[in-house]
Amino acid sequence: MRQPRQTNVKLAVDLGGLHMKNPVTTASGTFAAGHEYSDFVDVSKLGAVTTKGVSLNGWSGNASPRIAETPSGMLNSIGLQNPGVKHLLEHDLPWLREVGATTIVNVSGHSFDEYVDVIEALDESGLVDAYEVNISCPNVDAGGMTIGTDPKSVEQVVGMCRKATKLPMIVKLTPNVTDITEIAKAAVSAGADALSLINTLLGMAIDIERRKPQLARYVGGLSGPAVKPVALRMVWEVHKAVDVPLLGMGGIGTGADAVEFMLAGATSVAVGTANFTNPTATVDVINGIIDYCENHGVGDVNELVGALQ
Amino acid sequence: MSALVNEVARIISNEPIGPRLHLMVLESPTIAAKVTPGQFVHMKVPGAPDHILRRPFSIYSRNANEGSVEILYQEVGTLTRFMPSLKEGDAELIGPVGNTWTGARRYKDGSCTHALLVGGGVGAAPLFMLAEQLKEAGCPTDVVLGAQTKEALVCRARYEALFGCEPSCATDDGTYGRAGFCTSLVEERLSQGCLSDGKPYDYLAVCGPEPLMKIVAGMGAQAGVYTELSMEKRMACGIGACLSCVVDTTMGKKRSCVDGPIFKAEDIVWG
Repeated sequence: MRQPRQTNVKLAVDLGGLHMKNPVTTASGTFAAGHEYSDFVDVSKLGAVTTKGVSLNGWSGNASPRIAETPSGMLNSIGLQNPGVKHLLEHDLPWLREVGATTIVNVSGHSFDEYVDVIEALDESGLVDAYEVNISCPNVDAGGMTIGTDPKSVEQVVGMCRKATKLPMIVKLTPNVTDITEIAKAAVSAGADALSLINTLLGMAIDIERRKPQLARYVGGLSGPAVKPVALRMVWEVHKAVDVPLLGMGGIGTGADAVEFMLAGATSVAVGTANFTNPTATVDVINGIIDYCENHGVGDVNELVGALQ
Repeated sequence: MSALVNEVARIISNEPIGPRLHLMVLESPTIAAKVTPGQFVHMKVPGAPDHILRRPFSIYSRNANEGSVEILYQEVGTLTRFMPSLKEGDAELIGPVGNTWTGARRYKDGSCTHALLVGGGVGAAPLFMLAEQLKEAGCPTDVVLGAQTKEALVCRARYEALFGCEPSCATDDGTYGRAGFCTSLVEERLSQGCLSDGKPYDYLAVCGPEPLMKIVAGMGAQAGVYTELSMEKRMACGIGACLSCVVDTTMGKKRSCVDGPIFKAEDIVWG
């Protein structure tokens, strides 16, 4: 089981009120609730574990095939399959607490009310350290990205969630918009403590022999190294546009990738698709950040945030 | 499932053995020591960094003493078409992943007395360690293999060497054994009973293309034989986290990687 190495570099960051022991968490949906990866990494040593999107009563997700590999990337259309908030509360969150992990729960809903219901079901448990409100999943017909592309809906749902909790609330943004700063401002004005970006880019792949789409749902979310330049650009734009801290993600697989995001303005970063390539990617990224800091005389990772020259 | 490892695995050999079919042997002592029949490894193929996803390969055989595992693979996509060019290098294997065929356990507890194994194409490989296990336990076991051509029946000789008699074979083009799909051989075996004593089978294990497994599962159900099959879906994480590889079952969606790959045939909801 891999652990971050010892260092004198100060790694702790504050993500909108969420204390993280280092800047690295997991991208929702790529890490389940951490248990599956616990043979490979010590999840308690991550800045946080961000759990798979959870809805009130669970969803069965989309038909198969659900994924397709593309050059330096992959498409997924899982469709937020999850067993519901009760299961998360009874099984996954107690385990995360027991092993000492910091927990961000990704909250999903088909309606504005469902987001609030999920938060209300969790809020008194003492097992959640922060929420990530998912208004950006491209793989569901209701909720998800359909909310996150319209500033008025964003303001409304984020405002409703804000009233439901005093815990740190991160709002996860979709890149599938004309101007992501407009959505970012709407989320912040409605009370988001931090923003995470980017969710996946809507994409498609076709099997030309069968003349059929590679995914049962035709389209899905593109992730992996292929999206990194887009994600980085959006983090940089949003950093200039709002005053809340950012959780950057999109193709991060090394410490160098993470440092790029931090220089562009991210306070913390999430490792997603890279977990599939390399099950120790999260810890490898932490160690890579440490390497960079030590080699560049950086005593505190916070010095990197937005330090683009 | 016991703890998984991510093991750097040197490629010992990688040779063509049939049309678009190759055998790869990898040095992977931890996995070789732990793997049980039907389990697989999730391989990061070296030399192909643009292919970010690992690929699942069932273990064909292992040599625990030498610390090696063997996989049989078929060229089906861009990455498996690239793989034959690998003459050396270090793969990374997550494994051993998944559950195991229950035949040997059932023989021990008495619920299996006669076994029939059905392998279509490269599906013959994930059954071979089960065949070894059943043979060692002393369970009367018959084998049906199907392939497109004689040259593609690449596992036949190994089964023959194990049991000292030839498996029942069918080829689509009639170049070896029965002409046509191997399903007619399965039907025959189920109606005639075990080759050694004519007694009915009470354990049927099948691995191959889904349409074949569906038909054989139907035959097993009709004959009242407990039937297991090995499902393979496109996988991303390969360890149960991402929910890419789900299979529709009577208990809802199950992950083929860690809830399977071996499923009770009666639990599968066919698409």
